[in-house]
Amino acid sequence: MNLFLALVVAVLFGTGATMLLKPDLFRVVVGLALVANAASLTVIAAALSRGQAPISPLIEGEPVSDPLTQAMTLTALVIGFAVTALLLAMVHRVYVTHRSVDLDDLARSERSAEEELERGVPIEHDVDHDDAEAAR
Amino acid sequence: MSLLVAPLALLWPAAAVAALADGRRRATGWAAVAALAVAVALLAALAVRVAAGGPVELVAGGWPADVGIRLRADALGVVLALVSVAVVLAALVHGVVSGLSSRLFPALMLFLSVGLTGLFLTGDVFSFYVFFELAMISAYALAALGGEGRMVGSALIFAVVNLLGSFLFLIATAALYRATGTLEMLAVADRARGVDPNTALVIAVLYFVAFGVKLGLFPFHFWLPSVYGSAMPAVTAVLAGALANIGAYGLLRFEAGLLPRELALAGGVLVAIGTLSIIYGAVQAIGRRDAREVLAYSAIGHAGYVLVALGVGGRVALAAAALFTVVNALGKTLLFLSVDLRGPLVSAAFAVGAFSVAGVPPFAGFFGKAALFEAGIQAGSDAAVALLFVGGALTFVYLFQIYQHTYWRPGQEHPPAPAGARVVVAVVAVVVLAVGLWPEPLLALSNQAGDALTRMAG
Repeated sequence: MNLFLALVVAVLFGTGATMLLKPDLFRVVVGLALVANAASLTVIAAALSRGQAPISPLIEGEPVSDPLTQAMTLTALVIGFAVTALLLAMVHRVYVTHRSVDLDDLARSERSAEEELERGVPIEHDVDHDDAEAAR
Repeated sequence: MSLLVAPLALLWPAAAVAALADGRRRATGWAAVAALAVAVALLAALAVRVAAGGPVELVAGGWPADVGIRLRADALGVVLALVSVAVVLAALVHGVVSGLSSRLFPALMLFLSVGLTGLFLTGDVFSFYVFFELAMISAYALAALGGEGRMVGSALIFAVVNLLGSFLFLIATAALYRATGTLEMLAVADRARGVDPNTALVIAVLYFVAFGVKLGLFPFHFWLPSVYGSAMPAVTAVLAGALANIGAYGLLRFEAGLLPRELALAGGVLVAIGTLSIIYGAVQAIGRRDAREVLAYSAIGHAGYVLVALGVGGRVALAAAALFTVVNALGKTLLFLSVDLRGPLVSAAFAVGAFSVAGVPPFAGFFGKAALFEAGIQAGSDAAVALLFVGGALTFVYLFQIYQHTYWRPGQEHPPAPAGARVVVAVVAVVVLAVGLWPEPLLALSNQAGDALTRMAG
C-alpha cells in the first residue's frame, strides 16, 4: 500500500511539476493544483493506520486510526483550494489586461510596450474601471 | 487574556472587519493602522517579558499539554514577530498617507500581520504551515494590487514559485510527522536524534529548499527581482522587510533547532551556497541602474549572510544570524520605502538606510555585521571574514551608486512626495538610528535566541 501511494504521489508531483514549466498559465495553475494534491496525499500516507474511526465512544483495546493526519489533510485541502481560486483570479486578471494567458505573448507585449516607451509614445494601460470610477 | 494570544485575538477580527469595509476610505486605513499599532505595542510588551523571564507558553483551548496546539514565544520568535509587524505597520501608514488606491489593501496587510504573528509565535509545525500560508496568500494578493498587467504577471510567478515551496514544506512536514510521530517543535527536536539519518537528511533538504525559495537565496532567487521591481513601494517594503524574515526564521528554527545534526553535516554546502548568493547579489546589483532592481539583488545577496552564519554554526553564529535578520529587515524596509520618494528628509533617510545596510556605525546594521564578523573569527574561518568584508564593501558601492543616481543627478526635477510619506520614512530612519545607538535589548534577545536554538539542538 505504501509503495502504491508513493507511486501515485510521484506521478502526481511529476506531472504537476512538468505542467508548471509550460508557458500557458492555465496549465501552470492546473500543475500547481496537482502538486497540492500530491502534498495532501503525502500527508494522508504519512500515517496510514488501520483501526476503528477515532470517534468517541471508542471500543477498549482495539487500535484507533490516527485522526491527526486526517485533520491535517483537510486543512491542506482547504488551503490548496483557496490557493487555486486565487491563482485563477490572477490569471483572469492577466487575461483581461493582455487578452492572452501565454507567458511568451506577455513577454512580447511587454517588450513592445518598452520599445514604445523608449520612442516616447505614451502607452495606454487598461485602466481598472472599477477603481477609476470609485476614485471619482 | 494572555499576552501571547492578545495580538492574534486583536488582529484577526480587525482583519475580517477591514475586509468588509471599503479600504479606499481614509477612515478604514487609519482604523487598520490603529489596530496594528496596538498589536505592535502588545508584541513589544511580550518581548520585554520574554527577555526578562524566558519563553512564554500557552496551550490553546485549555487542552492537556500533549493534545492541544501549543503557542510558544521564545526570544527568536518574539523579536522577529515584533520587527515584522512593525515593518507592516510602517508600510501600512506609508500606503495610507500616500493615498490608497485599492479596496483591500488595509485588510490584506492585517491578514498578513495575523499570519506573521502566528507563525513566529507557534510551537507546532502544522499550525506554522497554516499561519505561513495565511501570510503568503495575503502577500500574493498584495503583490498583484494595482492591477497593471505586468504586475499581475510577476505576482503570478511569485505566487507559483512560492506555492511550490510551500507544498514542499508540507511534504517535509508529513515526512517529519511520520519519522517522529509528533508535530510539537520541542518534542520533534527531542526525537529527531533517534530518526534514521537518511530520512532526516531528506527532510532537512526539503525544508532547506522550501525556505530558500522564501528567502530568495541564489539558486532559488529568480522570482524575486521582477516582483520587487513591479509591486507598490509599500508592498515591496513588506516583502523585503517582513516576508523575507519567514525564510530566515524557518532556516533557523527547522534546520538549526530541529535538525541540527543534518545542518552540521551540510555546513560546507550551506557556506558555499551563501557565498555564491552574496557574490551573485552584489555583482548583479552593481551592474544595475534601476534603484529597485539594485535593492532586489541586494536582498538576494544579504540572504546569503544568514546562510553563511547557519553553515558556520554554533551559538555565536546563530545569534548573529538572528540579529542580522532583524537589522537587515529594518534597513531594507527603510530603503524600499524611501527609494521612490523625493523631497526634503527623504535623501537623508535613504542615506541612513544605506549606511545601516552597509554596516556603518552608529546605525543598526553595524551590529548585525559585527556579530557576523565575531562568529567568523570564533569559527577561525579567514575565508568567512574576508567574504564579509568584500560583501560589505560591495554593498557600500552599489547603494551609493543609486544614491548618487537618484538624489545627486541634476536636471531631474520631481515634485516632492506628500509630507506624510516623508515623515514615515524619517521615523523609520530614526528607529534604525535608535537601534544602532541603543542595541543592548536587541543584542540580549538575539543572544538568548542563539542559546535557545543550541539548547533545543541539545
